[in-house]
Amino acid sequence: MARTLAFRLVAAVPLVFLVSLLAFGLVHLMPGSASETILGDAATPEAVAELDAELGLDRPIIEQYWNWATDAVQGDFGRSLITSRDVSDTLVERFPVTISIAMGGLVVALMIGVVGGTVAALRQGRLSDRVISLLTASGLAVPNFWVAVLLAFYFGVERDWFPAIGYVGPTESITQWIYHLILPSLALGLGSAAVIARQMRGGLLDVLDRPYIRAARAKGLRYRRVVVVHAMKNAFIPVITVVGFQASVMIGGAVLVEQIFGMPGIGVQVVGAVLSQDMPLVQGVVMVSAVIVIFMNTLIDVSYAYFDPRVRLS
Amino acid sequence: MSGTVLRVGHLVVEFSGGGAFSLNREIVRAVRDVSFHIGQGEAYGLVGESGSGKTTSGRCVLGLQKPTSGSITLGADDVGELARHDPQALHQRIQAVFQNPISSLNPAMTVDRILAEPLRRLAGVKDSAAARTRSAELLDAVRLPSDVLDRRPTELSGGMAQRVSIARALASSPTLIMLDEAVSALDVATQAQVINLLADLRDETGVSYLFIAHDLAVVRHLCDRIGVMSQGELVEEGNSADICHRPTHEYTQRLLAAVPVPDPNVKRVRQDLRTR
Amino acid sequence: MRSILHRLVARPAGFIPLFWLAIVGFCALLPALVMTHDPNAADFGAILEGPSGEHWFGTDDFGRDTFSRVVDAARPAAMAGLQAVSISLVLGLPIGLFVGYAGGWWDRIVMRIVDAIFSLPGLILAFAIVAILGPGLTNAMYSVGFLFALRIIRLVRGMVLSVREEPFIEAARLSGAPTATVLSRYLLPNMMGPLIVQVTISFAAVLLIEAALSFLGLGVQQPDATWGSMLREARSLQRDNPWIAWPPGLAITFTVLAFNTLGDAYRDVLTEGPGGRAKAAKRGASLGLAQGTTAVSDADPADPNALLSVRNLTVTVPTSAGPAPAVRQLSFDMRPAEVVGLVGESGSGKTVSALAVAGLLPRGVTIDPSSQIHFDGEQLVGKTEADMSNVRGTGIGMIFQDPTASLNPALTVGYQLAEPLRIHHGLSKKDAIDRAVELLDRVGVNNPRQRLKDFPHQFSGGMAQRVMIAMALASEPSLIIADEPTTALDVTTQRQVLELLVELCEDLGMAMLFITHDLGVVAEVCDRAVVMYAGQAVETGDVYDLFAAPDHPYSRALLASVPLLDGDEERLVTIPGRVPGPGEQIAGCRFGARCELVHEACTTTLVELITLPRDGRSSRCLLAGASTESNP
Repeated sequence: MARTLAFRLVAAVPLVFLVSLLAFGLVHLMPGSASETILGDAATPEAVAELDAELGLDRPIIEQYWNWATDAVQGDFGRSLITSRDVSDTLVERFPVTISIAMGGLVVALMIGVVGGTVAALRQGRLSDRVISLLTASGLAVPNFWVAVLLAFYFGVERDWFPAIGYVGPTESITQWIYHLILPSLALGLGSAAVIARQMRGGLLDVLDRPYIRAARAKGLRYRRVVVVHAMKNAFIPVITVVGFQASVMIGGAVLVEQIFGMPGIGVQVVGAVLSQDMPLVQGVVMVSAVIVIFMNTLIDVSYAYFDPRVRLS
Repeated sequence: MSGTVLRVGHLVVEFSGGGAFSLNREIVRAVRDVSFHIGQGEAYGLVGESGSGKTTSGRCVLGLQKPTSGSITLGADDVGELARHDPQALHQRIQAVFQNPISSLNPAMTVDRILAEPLRRLAGVKDSAAARTRSAELLDAVRLPSDVLDRRPTELSGGMAQRVSIARALASSPTLIMLDEAVSALDVATQAQVINLLADLRDETGVSYLFIAHDLAVVRHLCDRIGVMSQGELVEEGNSADICHRPTHEYTQRLLAAVPVPDPNVKRVRQDLRTR
Repeated sequence: MRSILHRLVARPAGFIPLFWLAIVGFCALLPALVMTHDPNAADFGAILEGPSGEHWFGTDDFGRDTFSRVVDAARPAAMAGLQAVSISLVLGLPIGLFVGYAGGWWDRIVMRIVDAIFSLPGLILAFAIVAILGPGLTNAMYSVGFLFALRIIRLVRGMVLSVREEPFIEAARLSGAPTATVLSRYLLPNMMGPLIVQVTISFAAVLLIEAALSFLGLGVQQPDATWGSMLREARSLQRDNPWIAWPPGLAITFTVLAFNTLGDAYRDVLTEGPGGRAKAAKRGASLGLAQGTTAVSDADPADPNALLSVRNLTVTVPTSAGPAPAVRQLSFDMRPAEVVGLVGESGSGKTVSALAVAGLLPRGVTIDPSSQIHFDGEQLVGKTEADMSNVRGTGIGMIFQDPTASLNPALTVGYQLAEPLRIHHGLSKKDAIDRAVELLDRVGVNNPRQRLKDFPHQFSGGMAQRVMIAMALASEPSLIIADEPTTALDVTTQRQVLELLVELCEDLGMAMLFITHDLGVVAEVCDRAVVMYAGQAVETGDVYDLFAAPDHPYSRALLASVPLLDGDEERLVTIPGRVPGPGEQIAGCRFGARCELVHEACTTTLVELITLPRDGRSSRCLLAGASTESNP
């Protein structure tokens, strides 16, 4: 398993390289230069040229990329054009919050999705299947930020069951950390739960029609055992693919949801950076979230090997 | 049998396993030095089990697969050359019928339009009324009523769909038709109809067949000569009766001995057991 | 195309979303006709009111009418959706088609780039693009359109790759169709259905992202309303007017739900094909099984000495025209250690009969309760699923057509083999493994102890079938049901497997019900055979008799249509016409329409199995016994 993981991590390097090209390219697609953004509208052309030289923006583009990339590999994404603060400091401070919410959302999505989808598949066509299908369809349609707004208001403000605002780090208090994450995770996870439930239901129904399920029954195994031992593991394979995709959705969604719960994640920062065209920060966020997603997908690739022996050997 | 229609000489096809970046690229030799020829109006059978290279050889003949080495000539022309420079001229002369009757026909088209395609592009029938008349003639040739023209493939039975495929292959009046397991997906009774039809069409039009199949009895029934393939090699070749009654190669003998015979008095499976 | 639309509107899942989308569309086109107030007119006399006759959905902090603002926001939503989806199609469709069809390096390079972009969370990428282009609805939609273009590229490429392998594409090229024609007339029409479904669902996703961007203030600018920006404002106003977050949220949800449901309904309509499921069920109810259940049968009562005694087995399958009997009144007996062949072409009902005996019929396929299946003296029809598993685990073993698909790809062969031993024979894990080794050795798998650790995909077809046989032996059955066990195998492998099966039956004293379409296999393996045609047994008998002198015209024609290795050059005998489907009502003989000996009585009389004077033979023909005399 460790060898597979190492191999997959190496295989992800070209992807990270491509993403870095994209992130670097962002700056050059932007109208105006970084110097203009820093100096504002009143800047003289001479001042802009001077700052360009200072920032290295007058060098050949390949050299610029090389400098940027070598710095980025060491965790240095430059300084914010607006606040002059090191981008990496902001990222280190803010990303753990966003990742916490994303993980919470994923846990919610997996728990509800797998259970709901399995129940629906086994009770195909009955009332419980119909109810779950209806909930799934609604879950897919409800915007997560609206759910967040409603949850925060009805369970955080109207009734004071959960904190409607704020964040406590796991190093301070694990219980408080989880407590603060409950509402945002629910808001974030419900939509993905619907996606997973749908895939789980479809996948399980598909597997239950396979010849090897009939063959397992022909051996005289009880239906419950056939489902648990022979069907579930195989039904999980397509679900894993979906979960991999949801990992990326979660990071994006967390950026949105954390703002509603007033959590000090990367969200507020990145929206501000977008509005003020603070490119180093945008680049930093793009790079870090891409690396997180690529890493998650690598883990998921490796987990295929557990569920599908055909992958393991090839 | 006047003249040779197709001549395959020292055909070799190799595939490289694994991806382009794979470290352990291994070369799979699918076809190893295969040579045979087909005369005009002759039915030549290529027999073998799965993985014997018979289908790959057939694809080379059609110009769909590039051989690693060797020559394939159609009349006086090189097939590879034709496939590159004038595929339409090649396919006017060589046509094919594949195994799965239904999926060989475009589900989005009516039979009329399926037949019009080769008529227009290969046979030079540009006028649509003429194409329809000719299509009806083709259907008649494969013993199908003309009301089939307006049906879609999903509305046809397996046997009917395979007849439409044969009609399509006949549209350009080719000199050679390759039939790749063309009857093996059909039921026994339907299979018999299609085999008889193929025999009749050959008598009527003088077309040659390259008949690729795993079922020796079927091949024996339709073909004049048979080549037996095993693991990419042509291990034995001869006229049908000789191959079936006096096989010389050990593999051919094993293959023949394995074919179940619908006569309980033979019951070789059981006899073998008793004498063991 | 029109009929698809009709069928779509005919179902609630198609009609209701279309109705809602029509309302949204109307609001987008002619908002003035729907709005009750100027959406941007402040009224400080009516701030943050709840719903009332004057303000149906209440008002916001400027006293603006929420209902009118929700209606007004339909236009930017519709525009956003249309813009983004058209951009994604214009970019994605040609690139996806080209890359999928051309393959090779183009495919690799483009897909790598797409993969790289996909590894960015969608919203983050949208942020980055908005950062370049600046905020605003159109810019936001460019970014969303670009994002979805990537999705369309992936999707179209995938569809091209799957359709490209279809033989009809190869045939099109052989017909001389140039690449452009192959793409436009062969590939595209066959992808249209799934593509429309995806585009419909994309609308939903685009709306969600647009709303998210507006919610963050990166979309449309004040004072114009969008559903997302209304939600943004609602956050701070909720305490004073809890109602205010609902209308825009519901508007988004309903619209997204409508697109999703419409996409699903369209997919259902496509996959079901003409006729539809709902209609079929209705028609089937009235059709019933009147004829099947009232038919007289002269079959003897169940034979107490038989191992398996089947009487009047009727099995109903769902068809496009409703439930129909695929097996009609089948009766036959098997003695212990006897090998009986169930022979027929596709559609004869042979496999359904075998599955019925094993209690393994697929969902929706049912046994008529008047049927009797006695195994070892026990009536199996009506047993619970749990009781049937016990019968399967201890008395009946089964082997299937496709051995590699019949083994669970996720579990080792050893686990699958030891499983029934532990459950039904109470063996310990170690004993079960030892027994599994014995079994594998018995069926001729080399190096059995090692191979137990392997997964099914590491076995060839022939070896996998040996494993399946070992699995069937695990329950020490007295009956093996083999459903076309060698059809998927090469002829030399087939022979080895057949030899193994016959040898095992003889050595272990097992009976075998052998289902096949291959008369050669029947002749070599079976003691007796039951010939089936269109759901009925048309002839039964000892194989020597049956093959030497087939009585029923169908058996005779079938036998004569088999090409022989040492046959003379004569033409094969053919049977005109086709097998009637399960639902087809035929007065008289079901083979009548194709029979060369048909006469008037055949089309009016219900033909039953007639016992022939010779031992154990019967034939479902009015000429039974007579026609054989003329046969050599």
